Amino acid sequence: MTAGRTAGRLAVAAAGPPILWVTVVLVGVAAALLPGFFSADNLANVLRQSAVLALLAIGQTFVVVAGMMDLSVGMLATLVLVLAADLMDGRAEATLAAVGLAAAVGIGVGALTGVLNNLLRINSLILTLGTLTILQGVTFIYTDQSLGAPSPAIAWLANGDVLGLPPSFLLVVLLVALAHLALHHTRFGVHLAAVGGAPQSARQAGIPVGRVQLAAFVISGLSAGLAGLVLLGRLGTGYPNAGIGLELDAIVAVVLGGTALAGGRGSVIGSVAAAVVLGIVSNMLNLLEVSSFVQMVIKGLVVIMVILIGQVRPERAA
Amino acid sequence: MSRPDEIAAPTPAAAAPVGVAASRRLRSFPETLAIWLVLVVLLVVAGALSEAFLRPVYLGNIIRQAAPIGIAAVGVTFVMILGGVDLSIGATISLGAVLCAAAMNGDPANIAPAVALACLAAGAIGALNGILIAVTGVSPFILTLGTAITLYGVTQLVTGGTAHGIIAPGFREVFNVRIGGILPTLGLAFLVVAAAGATVQHVTTFGRRLYLIGSNPAAARLAGLPVRRTVILAYTLSGLLGGLGGIALLARSGVSGSLAASGYEFDVLAAVVLGGTTFEGGRGGIGGTVAGVLILFVAFNLVNVIGLNYHAQLVVKGAVIIVASAIYRRLRDAGSS
Repeated sequence: MTAGRTAGRLAVAAAGPPILWVTVVLVGVAAALLPGFFSADNLANVLRQSAVLALLAIGQTFVVVAGMMDLSVGMLATLVLVLAADLMDGRAEATLAAVGLAAAVGIGVGALTGVLNNLLRINSLILTLGTLTILQGVTFIYTDQSLGAPSPAIAWLANGDVLGLPPSFLLVVLLVALAHLALHHTRFGVHLAAVGGAPQSARQAGIPVGRVQLAAFVISGLSAGLAGLVLLGRLGTGYPNAGIGLELDAIVAVVLGGTALAGGRGSVIGSVAAAVVLGIVSNMLNLLEVSSFVQMVIKGLVVIMVILIGQVRPERAA
Repeated sequence: MSRPDEIAAPTPAAAAPVGVAASRRLRSFPETLAIWLVLVVLLVVAGALSEAFLRPVYLGNIIRQAAPIGIAAVGVTFVMILGGVDLSIGATISLGAVLCAAAMNGDPANIAPAVALACLAAGAIGALNGILIAVTGVSPFILTLGTAITLYGVTQLVTGGTAHGIIAPGFREVFNVRIGGILPTLGLAFLVVAAAGATVQHVTTFGRRLYLIGSNPAAARLAGLPVRRTVILAYTLSGLLGGLGGIALLARSGVSGSLAASGYEFDVLAAVVLGGTTFEGGRGGIGGTVAGVLILFVAFNLVNVIGLNYHAQLVVKGAVIIVASAIYRRLRDAGSS
């Protein structure tokens, strides 16, 4: 394998797989045929709707590249949403405290998951299935009905616009840029890929595997905290069932975006593009007034098809 | 260590697999014993806290409660021994329940065809999962997640999003008769399915192939084992038993909500993993899974009897999943060194 080919392959990995971009174009063309899709309002709407999933997908990408999975993010976002809604209760002056709370809870739960991962050495899927269940219980113990409201600033973050673009999506773009740099241009990113791709070799090479995995869970927790705030802004109230199932959607976006579930390589740009594609598909189906049940069927079939087509690669020799 | 879905890469050790796999199976025996010990200890603790757990009728009732998840978990155990996973199991259970109720439509004459239809549909879904996984080598985790989303949509389409279909008179009654005044028929059905699953695992060539393929797929392929056929059969069984689990759910609850079993995939996975079958494949078995299912349901009932609500049950469930898995990990490390 030549250095040029390796570099080329890494570039492809960083930008997401070709099938994703083919899907982007196809979906874009199909959408263009729909009257009303290309209005500035509707496009901004698509981005607004995709922001929560995009935020979760950014964090999840780090965990998956490290060869693990974080199923707790949907319920973590929900816990943050409920706590922040109760704290703010619509008061403008509480915005900063709520942002601090979201970051603290997100980072705290992520760090706890990482520590448990290092101590117990159990499969990340089963560990975070456990923490998901505990977080859901804690959220329901805190409240089993909607409470509180976002401050005007948080509502603006989710629903407002800056030069026609949703602020939440600008936040996503900023974070994608940072995450992309971290993943592909820092020592941490190299370590992360090494830990996910070949944990044994990484350990022998002196990479602090436990610390790298912990960092991945902390990043995932933080992104879930931010996603909880944005979701709160969209919903307008602290609804304790808000984030159920989001963890699986996030994993779908990450995989569609070209990150291998086996770990070792991945693309945050791909993850976010996939989240937006899913948003465009559901927006189109909404414009076509397709029932939500049929939408689910179509979404499932799109996932299966893209995954299967992406699977047929010349690299797949083993 | 955290590679739940990918088939392990060929390693230099691939050359000497059969003896290793066999000794691994022998070693897994004390593990299975350990999980049953945990169940006994839990029952003793529960019995000390509440006399209810000493009453056979109450225990029979726990087995009845566990039947839908337990029956489905038997099939998922096969898939996970193989190193795969079936996230569509909750959606399959839901679809099984909904199809069965819709086809029954309140007429006792329709019971048999309705059950057959649910089994056929669920088995076909499993077969489709298996064929796609075996032929393309796609990650089972993400493929069955896609199947799950699709099936939940289909189920909602069938029902229109509300409870749908009418149970025929006699259907629930048959399943809720207590044999000898203790064990409901539904509980017996779970135990029969588990016994059948254990027999398949221990006695048949298919059962042995599951372990060989799960512990070293590359070696199994080189040794000429029919890997594809085994994978397809395992997922078909998982789908079929998911359908039976759906029928059991219908018999237990009597209502077929369109999302009756949404989230059950996590409960099934938790039970299977508690029972000592890992995401990596090659170890575990039906015996452990049955104990895992019973531990989960005894724990739920205990929390209930103590007087904590459903929300606290979730916290306990999560803690049980984490702690039990950690204990296993220790046992396994101790056993293999």
